[in-house]
Amino acid sequence: MNGVVVVTGAARGIGLAIAEKMAGTGSITVVGVDLAPELALSEHITPVQVDLTSPEGPSVVRETVEAAGAPLVGLVNNAGITRDARLVNMADEDFAAVLEVNLGGAYRLSTELAPLMSDGGSIVNIASRAYLGNFGQFNYSMSKGGVVGMTRALALSLAPGVRVNAVAPGLIATEMSMGIPEEVREEMVAAIPLDRMGTPEEVAHTVWWLLTPLSSYITGEVIVVGGGRSLS
Amino acid sequence: MIHWADDVGEGWDEILAELTRVFQLSRAAAQAEDSIVYVVRQDDLLGRRGAGNAMVATGLLSAARTAALEGARKGWVANVVAYDEEADREAVQAWAQRLLEAGDITGELIRVGSGHVGRTLP
Repeated sequence: MNGVVVVTGAARGIGLAIAEKMAGTGSITVVGVDLAPELALSEHITPVQVDLTSPEGPSVVRETVEAAGAPLVGLVNNAGITRDARLVNMADEDFAAVLEVNLGGAYRLSTELAPLMSDGGSIVNIASRAYLGNFGQFNYSMSKGGVVGMTRALALSLAPGVRVNAVAPGLIATEMSMGIPEEVREEMVAAIPLDRMGTPEEVAHTVWWLLTPLSSYITGEVIVVGGGRSLS
Repeated sequence: MIHWADDVGEGWDEILAELTRVFQLSRAAAQAEDSIVYVVRQDDLLGRRGAGNAMVATGLLSAARTAALEGARKGWVANVVAYDEEADREAVQAWAQRLLEAGDITGELIRVGSGHVGRTLP
């Protein structure tokens, strides 16, 4: 496998794990997109420090991909934020911020880069198990549900050349989840049949598989990486 | 509150405007402890009428599930009705009204028509 793979939200957590996994695959050039300056710390990533919600954000990424001089074979829309509150108390700006980053950023970058993708290319959208519903996350849940719909629509419109799938992680040990109060986190873990949080690397393995030809007959699907939590 | 999802185009601003409108209507309903029903097209849950309509439909489905969890503590419900193109609109509205008044059914997706059979379960 060779070419360029773009990973958003690549400075840390799940995005960094995906970027490093892809960097070790064949002759892949990983273009990492993030606002955080830590992005430049990974020697395996070509960094693009840009805000994907800005009008010029997606075109800056496109220019970087074109300059890389290799076919675009993969895109991972991973960048995401949370601004939790119960629906009755949710502020307009917290709703808008989450939708803009989690859904708008992924959609605008996908439409910008889709024309560059080579036949056999693969897009993987990072949704969340919260698309099945999660207390206090009306905005986040809606945004990730939207990512699922975007995945299905793009899977149809970009077929047969490009496959589009989604991965929906459950509780993963990242900075975001470690910010949850410990007693709440312990309750959440107790509801997971596999009895632990997942790791960013476990999500990265699934994303890697969807990016490679090993999953060449799969498109428009959502794979939950959640330790069985959807059953408990 | 019964909300029929509006058709949107492929531009992000238009998509966000519809999702924001649903959020604001839903927040007002939740504050009044009123139940919520969203009405969407079955084709849009499957992404068959473009990305914009798909993002709205599946976004509303996920939002309804979250609203259902929050409403359960206060006694109101949130559900979704999805309909096929050939479905009778009055029948769809009747199902929406029934779900709005059904205090013991929440977080559910009811499909009017058979278009979902053999396809992905959202």
